[in-house]
Amino acid sequence: MPVSTKPPTRVLPALALAAFACVWLLDLGVVQPNRIVSGTGYGLYAATGWFGAVVVSFLLAVVIVLATRLTPKRFGALILLLTTALMAQPLLLEVFALRKLPEDSAYARIGIGAGFWCLAFFLALMLLETLGRYKASRRLQFSVVLLVVVSWWFCASREGLSSLSLIREYANRADQFSQALTTHLSLSLGAVAISAVLAFGLALAMVRRERLRRPLLGLVSFMQTIPSLALFGLLIAPLGALSAAYPFLQTLGIRGIGWAPAMLALIAYSLLPMVRNTYVALMEVPEPVVDAGRGMGMNERQIFFKVKLPLALPVIIEGVRITTIQAIGLTAVAALIGAGGFGTFIFQGLGQAAMDLVLLGALPTVFLALAADAILSALKFQRAPR
Amino acid sequence: MIELKGVTRRFGDAVAVDNINLTIETGEVCVLVGSSGCGKSTTLRMINRLLPRTSGEILVDGEDINNADPEALRLNMGYAIQSTGLFPHWTVARNIGVVPDLLKWPARKRDERVSELLTLLGLDPATDAIKYPHQLSGGQAQRVGVARALAGDPNILLMDEPFGALDAITRENLQQEMLRIQRHLNKTTVFVTHDIDEALKLATRIAVMDQGRIIQHDTPEAILRRPASAFVENLIGKGDRGLKLLGLRTVGDVMARHLLPSQSEPLVEVLKETDSLRVALSIMVWQNSDELPVFSEAGEAVGKVTREQLLQGGA
Repeated sequence: MPVSTKPPTRVLPALALAAFACVWLLDLGVVQPNRIVSGTGYGLYAATGWFGAVVVSFLLAVVIVLATRLTPKRFGALILLLTTALMAQPLLLEVFALRKLPEDSAYARIGIGAGFWCLAFFLALMLLETLGRYKASRRLQFSVVLLVVVSWWFCASREGLSSLSLIREYANRADQFSQALTTHLSLSLGAVAISAVLAFGLALAMVRRERLRRPLLGLVSFMQTIPSLALFGLLIAPLGALSAAYPFLQTLGIRGIGWAPAMLALIAYSLLPMVRNTYVALMEVPEPVVDAGRGMGMNERQIFFKVKLPLALPVIIEGVRITTIQAIGLTAVAALIGAGGFGTFIFQGLGQAAMDLVLLGALPTVFLALAADAILSALKFQRAPR
Repeated sequence: MIELKGVTRRFGDAVAVDNINLTIETGEVCVLVGSSGCGKSTTLRMINRLLPRTSGEILVDGEDINNADPEALRLNMGYAIQSTGLFPHWTVARNIGVVPDLLKWPARKRDERVSELLTLLGLDPATDAIKYPHQLSGGQAQRVGVARALAGDPNILLMDEPFGALDAITRENLQQEMLRIQRHLNKTTVFVTHDIDEALKLATRIAVMDQGRIIQHDTPEAILRRPASAFVENLIGKGDRGLKLLGLRTVGDVMARHLLPSQSEPLVEVLKETDSLRVALSIMVWQNSDELPVFSEAGEAVGKVTREQLLQGGA
């Protein structure tokens, strides 16, 4: 059956229509006299003039037409079109800055409006949908994402967008930003690594001794039920007392606040998904396969490393994936107890009512989580038996 | 030679195998047959020490198996099971090569062995070797399972209902393959099944088991002619045991052989010398004839068989 007679996708036209509505009804950008005042918004036409408005509308119309007459070739055209559109989207802001930014004010800046975010969101959704329908290879998917990321990075570093308030917030804090990145990554990945080792040991103990299963799973589930902020708070007092009693701990940086309680809490949270997935994965290796391995003359070590572990690995990696995403998100909250990381910007920005500073913390956190998800999914896919 | 002397296996209070004595000569195919739960699989699994025995002795070539290292013991016993137990994350070639790898054969010797076995079991070394188990049909997977059991060139073959999950036609094919391979290799084989027809077809001797005991241990013909108890009689089926008896012998055993084989025009339904007397009788009834020409595998007319000869041979 040729692809063109498959039921036509209604998802793509619907998304394109939604994008169309959003981009016309919502503000594309905002001009702010300084970083605190909210400023005035501009719609698509007002912001980019008739040229920008026509280009965007025409593009969405082409997407709708292509999507309703799908052939395998058109999928390729659609991917090309959507990728280019997404790559070029920051140019809209550049045009906007060129037209509307008052030249006389050193504090004036432009902000990103809801319309811009919605357009980016719907374009990305359409791209994902098309890649999925096209059954695109992992390599193509990866290339598309890489192209978009690199293009946005390139646009952000251009002179034309230097007046973007997000970029200004970054420029003011470039050092803090790279430090936040290092702290955020080392806290979350460190916690994941440590809890992976712990979880593996616990899961093995549960596999060996059935009666350990209930108490251990109960314990790690219980830790998961404590609200994260409460756990961070609960750790302050005992750690503070410890470091007061043993001063050498202070030289290691272990205090009631800071990275130590954050790390402990993150590890505690990471244990449940890791322990559960590792345990289930090891237990669900089919009995006949293990029996055959033993009957062939494998010893217990060989059965574990050659049969059980490789078969369990995709599910174990899935546990690591869930945990990593969770830890990256929780690390942002850990900024509240002075652990550093991107959460610092978020809470500072909230305190100063500077939304772009909040974004400066939130966007990299989301990006890190998505990147971890992509990498670990690819790893899991690669390890899964084909 | 495998000897079981007074072997008992208990699971808690339940007795799975009750004081059995069984001798399996080198090169013979011993089929353990009985209904599920009769202890036949337990017996098999005690021979390669997947299950420890509660009491008694199991000797292989006069050596008590408990004196050997269990892994070394199993490396010399091919093992095939009903659910194949193929490693899903390995290709067919790597699955078959598992015992050679455990025995640390050089890679070339192992690869040659793998292709040899694929060919022996009617699989294609070029295309099938690189497949993963889930890409195989049930029959193919079981062929790979048997190939894997043979790979290390073990002296003993243990098979636990290897064809039990297959459809009738595939099972029939694999039974034929087993007979052909066994003629080649002469492995001492212990084969577990609940299917009496499979037992009659493959066995040199059958051990009928019930409730953990061996009821009768004898050749297929003796089991058919002189069932030791009502249980055995019931198992082989009273109605068609005459036909089953005919099934044990081949046309080649009873036919009148020509002095020289001759080429002849191919017929639609030809009787081969490797066919059983049961097949010959069926063709005779169908064609309503008293005499049939017999052909070799190569298609040459090698003899003829009469209804008289058939019935005498079966009696």
